[in-house]
Amino acid sequence: MVLDRKIAFIDLSKRSVRIEKIPVELRRKFLGGRGLNMYLLSRYYTRELEPFSPENPLIFGAGLLSGTLGFGSRLNISSKSPESGHIGDTNMGGEFAAELVKAGFSHLVITGRSERPVYLLIKDGAVKIRAALHLRGADTVETQKRIRSELGDEKTRVACIGLAGENLVRFSAVRTGMKNAAGRTGMGAVMGSKGLKAVAVRGTMDITVSDPQKYLSYYHTILKQMLETKWAQALGKHGTPLLFHLCNAMGFLSVRNNQVTTVGERGSGLEAEALERYSTGMLSCFGCPVHCRQRYAITEGKYKGTRGEGPEYGSIGSLGPKLGNLDPEDIIYACELCNYYGLDTMSMGSYLAWAMELYQRGAIGPVLTGIPLDWGNGASIIEMIHRIAQRKGFGHILAEGRLAYKVFGEASLDYLMEIKHFPIEMTDERLPKSFALGMATASRGACHMRSRASIDVLGLPEQVLEKLYGGPVSNRFSSYEGKGRMVWWHEVLNAVCDSLGFCRFLSVFSSPRGLGYEQFAEFVALATGMSLTPEELKSVGERVCSLERSMLVKDGISRRDDTLPRRYFEEPVPEGPCKGELIARDQFDTMLDEYYHLHGWDEHGMPEPRTLKQLGIDT
Amino acid sequence: MKVKVNEEKCSGCHLCEMVCSLFHLGKLNIEKSAIRVESDDLNSSLNTPVVCRQCRKMKCIEKEEVDEATEKNSFLWDKGRVKACPFKALFAFEDTAYHCDLCGGDPQCTKVCTPGAITVVS
Repeated sequence: MVLDRKIAFIDLSKRSVRIEKIPVELRRKFLGGRGLNMYLLSRYYTRELEPFSPENPLIFGAGLLSGTLGFGSRLNISSKSPESGHIGDTNMGGEFAAELVKAGFSHLVITGRSERPVYLLIKDGAVKIRAALHLRGADTVETQKRIRSELGDEKTRVACIGLAGENLVRFSAVRTGMKNAAGRTGMGAVMGSKGLKAVAVRGTMDITVSDPQKYLSYYHTILKQMLETKWAQALGKHGTPLLFHLCNAMGFLSVRNNQVTTVGERGSGLEAEALERYSTGMLSCFGCPVHCRQRYAITEGKYKGTRGEGPEYGSIGSLGPKLGNLDPEDIIYACELCNYYGLDTMSMGSYLAWAMELYQRGAIGPVLTGIPLDWGNGASIIEMIHRIAQRKGFGHILAEGRLAYKVFGEASLDYLMEIKHFPIEMTDERLPKSFALGMATASRGACHMRSRASIDVLGLPEQVLEKLYGGPVSNRFSSYEGKGRMVWWHEVLNAVCDSLGFCRFLSVFSSPRGLGYEQFAEFVALATGMSLTPEELKSVGERVCSLERSMLVKDGISRRDDTLPRRYFEEPVPEGPCKGELIARDQFDTMLDEYYHLHGWDEHGMPEPRTLKQLGIDT
Repeated sequence: MKVKVNEEKCSGCHLCEMVCSLFHLGKLNIEKSAIRVESDDLNSSLNTPVVCRQCRKMKCIEKEEVDEATEKNSFLWDKGRVKACPFKALFAFEDTAYHCDLCGGDPQCTKVCTPGAITVVS
């Protein structure tokens, strides 16, 4: 039974394991995945909690419906972030979550610190702590292979860190498979600080359902409905690189650290169709019918023999145009290196872009950097990835992420495109106002995926948008009207999606015909037997958002932090299709007011006492 | 009728295995499925679905005194038959082997295979 899955509390200092049931009431309030992670994190969260301290919990949480018949089987990893200093949370696909739940576990709460490297072995209801000294320094793929080999079980799924996580590079990822990354907010570094090299899982337990025929029949109905959407069809054919063309053509791409927002036709080599020449097929995460992941091989040139999975649009943008780099093979290879070292491709691109702009402006020079950091220098980009992961030379400075400002000087932060001490990804949001607000309010710092309100790009009639969002929303991408409502609505839906373990791509994300609360409620009932109304599910999303906000309030975060880089407000886009666009502060504030009001937060962005009471949040 | 495999197209989603166990046993457990996706996920990223070929001459039971038609239509088999399959297309978990009975003539796995890696052929 899905509701029988347990939480394991693992203390690496004491080498102790405590296994507990999850009360149904907690499931009804937080479901699983990100929701339950946030509940668990909130029990430990204080302003004083140090990200690299043994007391900081590292929480793995499979979605409530991970491993069942649905749309993906995702997992969130949460902790206090060593990159931003506040909420750390990241979402990962692949097969790890499904294996964890088959082993009888929903969540892992890992505290303490092991003096010697260890890994966890979780198998059919049992948790063991095993030595990992022999895995020290191994890359993320090698680590997975060696653990499988020593266990003699090729079906074991492993989430692990590479050298970057071991070296406490603040933007290290946790990885599983060839590409799946729990990439954002430095969860790999927290893992490294605990002496935890990997978590290996193997499960063979049944997931029983009460009415299999009805379940199967409902799945077929929804599957047909989903696969008819143009979005799912395009995603299944091209993967996320299909978004590059749109972003570049409309002019909301980060180019040279957001100094420019399009590369025009020069970017054609990075479009999905152009990348198809490297593709060797499409892959799926566990239980997903859409297969949006590419596998690739480079068969000639300087990277001949390189093969793997990806790259995704976010990584293409971050290690490509953001760095002035338009060579697809440099980008693919850079992504692959990040994967092997266990580095977040997005933060990697962001901090390197920051350093490159400082280099361009003469604020830092070759004496400090050791190698030229001119835009588009593929060899330097590759070399910097090595140096950061290995903490060598200038890499040792950039491995600290934004804290490198202590070396560069406080004024350098003006060129770091960041929100809440967390760097912006591959886009520039001066054109799309819903994206801009979503970035500014995202609970983990700059993040396009917390809300990713983009349906206004489709040019749908406003009546359709009003019906979907429950209030007026402009169908113009560059308009501020109703965009506070839109961001609020998507934040809540995405929080539910992350708590269920479904892939956000298949929810109301880029298509209004995607999955919403009604379908979620039906899937929950059929897979778990737990009856929740669509309204109750929406309340879960509200609860997760307000709980996350309450944690940020503990860190002293408020309205002044829900903002955008100075460049967005003061420097109009200099060229391209959206030349002249920028964010008007007064209209941005109006969006923010609307957004706070809908969440039940006051004008400073603090959850109102009545909101917390209504949602049953005990801060 | 049989389930034909085009391994180049398999995305490795495991939905075929999931619906197989759900249809036959009323539970999700890919270890208890008659179709298996063999994955080379950390090397070539290739996935290969493997399932009973519905051989006319059933080598898997040729040494037994059993009714072929009955066995063809049964899902739960004896584990001992695994070794007798020349194509390594019969799988066991614990003491039971899981044999493709074509879901009584309406294979469920092919219905969820969105890349078209498994199809029904007569």
